[in-house]
Amino acid sequence: DSHIQYERVGADVTMKCGSMDWDAAVTWTVNGTDINDSRLNGSYLVLKNVDLLQSGQYSCYEGSSWHLKYQTYLRVGTPPKEPVLMCRSNNYPKGFYCSWHLPTPTYIPNTFNISVIHGTKDMVCEKDAVPKNRCHIRYLQLFSTVKYKVTLTVTNVLGKNFTTLTFDEFAIVKPDPPESVVAKPVPNNPRRLEVSWQNPSSWPDPESFPLKFFLRYRPLILDQWQHVELSDGTSHTITDAYAGKEYIIQVAAKDNDIGTWSDWSVAVHATPWTEEPKHLTTEAQITETTSASTSSFMAPPTTKICDKGAVVGSGAVAVCWTAGLVVAAYSVLFI
Amino acid sequence: MAAADSPSAALRRRDLCSRGIRLAGKMRADVVDLLDIYVEQQGLDASASVAAVEGVPLAAVERWDEQTGTQRLLENLAAYRAFRALLAQMLEEQREQLGEADAGLGRALAAVLLQVSAFTYHLEELLRLESRGIPGEEGDGPPPPPRLSLFEQKLRGLGVLRELAQWAVRSARDLRQLAKPGSATGTAPGLAESP
Repeated sequence: DSHIQYERVGADVTMKCGSMDWDAAVTWTVNGTDINDSRLNGSYLVLKNVDLLQSGQYSCYEGSSWHLKYQTYLRVGTPPKEPVLMCRSNNYPKGFYCSWHLPTPTYIPNTFNISVIHGTKDMVCEKDAVPKNRCHIRYLQLFSTVKYKVTLTVTNVLGKNFTTLTFDEFAIVKPDPPESVVAKPVPNNPRRLEVSWQNPSSWPDPESFPLKFFLRYRPLILDQWQHVELSDGTSHTITDAYAGKEYIIQVAAKDNDIGTWSDWSVAVHATPWTEEPKHLTTEAQITETTSASTSSFMAPPTTKICDKGAVVGSGAVAVCWTAGLVVAAYSVLFI
Repeated sequence: MAAADSPSAALRRRDLCSRGIRLAGKMRADVVDLLDIYVEQQGLDASASVAAVEGVPLAAVERWDEQTGTQRLLENLAAYRAFRALLAQMLEEQREQLGEADAGLGRALAAVLLQVSAFTYHLEELLRLESRGIPGEEGDGPPPPPRLSLFEQKLRGLGVLRELAQWAVRSARDLRQLAKPGSATGTAPGLAESP
């Protein structure tokens, strides 16, 4: 006969070869491989301090005839630890869902049982087909101060464990992140980026249950985020971007009145609009081409700090440079 | 008075609803702050469960999305009238217990009472706009409750403030439903089905 045998990690396991006598000559195999006689006590197979690797199909054959006398599938595992349970409403006010997992695997089958109580009322948490470790509940009441109590019990052959969550209706409201975040440069505006997004599709009624948003952005080369909170609308124009720098932008959402912020949306990247680079020319070239050409080149405005021949400092050495070059040099230094 | 469904009435309704939503939001924020003060001053555990207290209107509602506009307004009005009386009672009890020793709590209670009164008026205006008769207040409010011990008074106060905080959230939602274009007080706009 063949069956499944569950044993705890670290246990000592003794297997009998069916109805064979203790002193019968037998051969034991595991997954088709012969087992060393050193593990036998007569015809019994003795496994001490079993570990996970010893799971497998164990078979016992009569010595001379090789008739199969006994077969079992040994599954080594552990009783369940306290499960991790989370409940959240990402589709308020329709309902909420609870999901769970074990902090460490048991390596043997487990069954999960969930109970939800609201005050004195038992509620049914309908299991989702996918994923399997999740169930959902429709709110029967809204705006209740009575807490919900959710108890999850996990059971396997080797033991059971449970955990309980108690919460009120508002505390678990957490929308999904905003969707379709788009960031675009604004033509002719080197310091602006236009960002737009959409409400998460799982939020059923944004008109009656409006969301507010939190936008964060930074240039890729810096670690510090800028933050903007927006109480309405699904777009925003960033007006203080560093010219020419690529930005990373994310958005989060929260119900206007209750609950917590969503996770951050998928990050988008954008660089503000920049002017097409101009062709630089020397003074000589400008002189050559002045009378003949209709160049589109326009030198950036410059301011001379001092005139030639002016004295700076005590050494009577004249130094003169243009402000535009100084600003450019400082910009490169600090960004 | 303009007909309930005239353009000017619709504009007035939207305006009243917008202001009411802002008032409800401010009221909720202040009640939440007041709850913190109250719990601390009264020596209560913030997580203590308080059984439903007689006379305190419960914000909890079934089939909220199926309510008509008129139902929403009437239920809100009844609730805030009750809160107005309950807060006035709390204020008096608090003054009796602590006198001037806890002026901060008294001021915070009085401020919330004022907002509740203002919101009540707001609701009455909305009902008038819908050409609905405003239900009269029953006598001078709820019948005086049996004399409670000091601890029972404190717990009841906690229950009152918690329900008021819930009502403030519910009221903002109710007014948003009312403010929806095409929302008539006699029909129940349902929630959009999620995809």
